[in-house]
Amino acid sequence: MSWIAIGALALIGVGIPIAMMVVSALLRPSVPEQGKSATYESGEIPTGTARSFKFNIQYYMVALLFVVFDIETVLVFPWAVIYNDAVSTVGLTRALGPMLLFIGILVIGLVWAWRNGAVEWIKSPRATRRKTQKQDA
Amino acid sequence: MAAPLQSALLPEQIANAFGLSGVLGEIVGGLIGAFLIANIMLAMTAIAGPWAKRKITAAFTDRIAVNRIGPFGILVIIPDAVRLLSKELIVPEGVDRPSWDLAPIVLPASALLGFAVIPMGNLGPINFHLADPEAGLAIVFAFASIASVSLIMAGYSSNNKYSLMGGLRAVAQNIAYEIPLIITALSVVIFAGTLQMSEIVAAQTDALVTIAGISIPAWYAFVNPFAFVLFLVANMAEIGRNPFDIPEAPTEIVAGYQTEYSSVYFVLFYLGEFIHIFLGGAIMAVVFLGGAAAPISALSFVPGFVWFVIKMWAFFLFTQWCRSALPRVRIDQLIEIGWKGMLVLSFANLVLTAVIVGVLL
Repeated sequence: MSWIAIGALALIGVGIPIAMMVVSALLRPSVPEQGKSATYESGEIPTGTARSFKFNIQYYMVALLFVVFDIETVLVFPWAVIYNDAVSTVGLTRALGPMLLFIGILVIGLVWAWRNGAVEWIKSPRATRRKTQKQDA
Repeated sequence: MAAPLQSALLPEQIANAFGLSGVLGEIVGGLIGAFLIANIMLAMTAIAGPWAKRKITAAFTDRIAVNRIGPFGILVIIPDAVRLLSKELIVPEGVDRPSWDLAPIVLPASALLGFAVIPMGNLGPINFHLADPEAGLAIVFAFASIASVSLIMAGYSSNNKYSLMGGLRAVAQNIAYEIPLIITALSVVIFAGTLQMSEIVAAQTDALVTIAGISIPAWYAFVNPFAFVLFLVANMAEIGRNPFDIPEAPTEIVAGYQTEYSSVYFVLFYLGEFIHIFLGGAIMAVVFLGGAAAPISALSFVPGFVWFVIKMWAFFLFTQWCRSALPRVRIDQLIEIGWKGMLVLSFANLVLTAVIVGVLL
């Protein structure tokens, strides 16, 4: 039953921004001018497109790591809910032991990722080289 | 245990007031209730955005800020709203059109959706609680994290290098702090034994200790203060406020994913961010600060809804305090704090809580 109310809020939540857009469309002026629609690049004429923009590979590494830990979080959810009851019915060792093992395996994974520099923000060699050149000069 | 004391949820109350029943009553009640909750949040955002934020920042930096229209300048909200809505919308060259237009809808919608399961307490006979599913806590985190999708949509589709940087940073930050956030919340679920929001609140009503006749309630912030601090930090990162505001760091990448947005689209991003701050505060209030309960029983004559709003505003005030007081972290520091510090600490907290609960109870 509660899903109807959540769905109603989803409708309202989408409806309010759209209503605001409609109101704004009625109010606002439109004065198209040359140069106005250029993307902002600190006042310079934009060079190239943002689509060919090269960014740090590290964004990809942390995203990969996230997938592992997110799935792990999903598996911790049901355990956390029943843990209190489980301790009284099957005892502490059987309630806690498997989860400790599970988290332990993940911690080993994190240590491995850590040692391999997956969570270290590595600057590109080019940026490091530039910096050293600047210092030399 | 508190089931008989609980009053009906808001949609049911509205349906009863109209004399409707069944699915029709549920739909009508749901829509009206949702409209009410959404407008409460809009009103709070309207006060927070154009007025309170200016006033608070001004107080921190020893200025006066808005003071011309209305008492303490509070009526500046109206001209500001008109001004922002009537600005020209400039569509930059080469934007990815459907995505660029959808992003400002997704952000406020996802933040508003989170409030569906938040028990905001009673105001007289009205119970401001839209829905109470058994998986409440999981749902609220799921809804809140839709925001990342909106930010990457805005960042990528804007065809601006700063926007793309901002979008990437936003996602890197959200995913780094999402896990500590949820794991810390789960350490509280171990105590409560449920994900249902009303039950989590009900589990915090007992007195923890009584000092000189004043009993301190067993709020999880007092039961497990370490988890509270961890959650607070992860929450700040999740909503992208200082010191974790690098996705929109104005001195580095202009405004991040918002750079190319103007007019009502910008307003919607701004709105979405503020609702997100309040949602963060609301989750903290429910999970750690006893929901709508009064801090001491002598003050429980004040309606629960008022307490809940006070708790949400306290969190908002805290974010503004940090904004004025703390320097921004760098992206490499952010990733290291998240993956090396917060993640390890949150797992340590989870295991420690489980051991303590298992041994003592």
